[in-house]
Amino acid sequence: MEVLKINGIEKQFPAGQLPSTVAELLEQLDIKPATVVAEIDGQIIERKKFAETKLRNGQSIELVRFVGGG
Amino acid sequence: MDKLVIAGREFNSRLFIGTGKFASRELMAEALEKSGTEIVTVALRRVDIENKNDDMLSAIDRSKYLLLPNTSGARDAEEAVRLAKLARAATGINWVKLEVTPDPYYLLPDPVETLKAAEILVKDGFVVLPYINADSVLAKKLEDVGTATVMPLASPIGSNQGLKMRTTLEIIIEQANVPVVVDAGLGLPSHAADAMEMGADAVLVNTAIATAVEPGQMATAFKLAVEAGRMAYESGPRAASKRASASSPLTGFLRDK
Repeated sequence: MEVLKINGIEKQFPAGQLPSTVAELLEQLDIKPATVVAEIDGQIIERKKFAETKLRNGQSIELVRFVGGG
Repeated sequence: MDKLVIAGREFNSRLFIGTGKFASRELMAEALEKSGTEIVTVALRRVDIENKNDDMLSAIDRSKYLLLPNTSGARDAEEAVRLAKLARAATGINWVKLEVTPDPYYLLPDPVETLKAAEILVKDGFVVLPYINADSVLAKKLEDVGTATVMPLASPIGSNQGLKMRTTLEIIIEQANVPVVVDAGLGLPSHAADAMEMGADAVLVNTAIATAVEPGQMATAFKLAVEAGRMAYESGPRAASKRASASSPLTGFLRDK
């Protein structure tokens, strides 16, 4: 098994089936990339780099977006 | 009316609108439109993986409104800086409403951490609009490190209590060389008008509009109040006095003595 921590929750993937990039992860989660910012192990990943940013077993990923606020 | 200028950018409206607590995106969009606002605050949160289609940015027309991300939820300078950088990556703009509120009951801002975060963010090229308690000494220190405004609170966030901090707000307005945006606690248009008459450069309203039964109509009411207050301020209002001062002539009465 391989694992990614996504927004604080550990998600397991069968060996070899870890999404290979941020773009692929978003697609699997059915999240539109246009509205999201990602952070991998504390490093901000710009949207234009989603397709080229590789994911590795054990990484911690934050996916954030804007919500209403004052 | 004079234009509001923040970090070299001109605005016609002196009413900032917060986008929290609206019952729907449609009501929010209507309120933004009716308020005449040009600056709209938003918060940054984790995507809810279970409810991922909640995308409120699409309801904000970014050609009309400057998006001002806040750092709400930050408990210290480090968390605030992280949120500011994420927001910049998301919007491509470097404006941020800096909030550091470790106290969950009154949501009062931490002055030490706010100043620390402001220094870091200004050095990193951000246009920083810090949310602060109505503390004139802190306001000066923030101005000195290069913040674009100060945003002192009128009363606790979302409390609708109005200008509880009047005396210290007046001192901040008197001493500030950057725009003063009175933020938080303004519950009625009269509170907003009052702040503008005092000489505040702008106000930020969220709860009072978003939670009204008719948010669109309340947005119009705040727009008119802010304009009225500003016009009055620019007209040079006269001070209150204890004794009467007759408006009608004190001569020519229809009596002999």
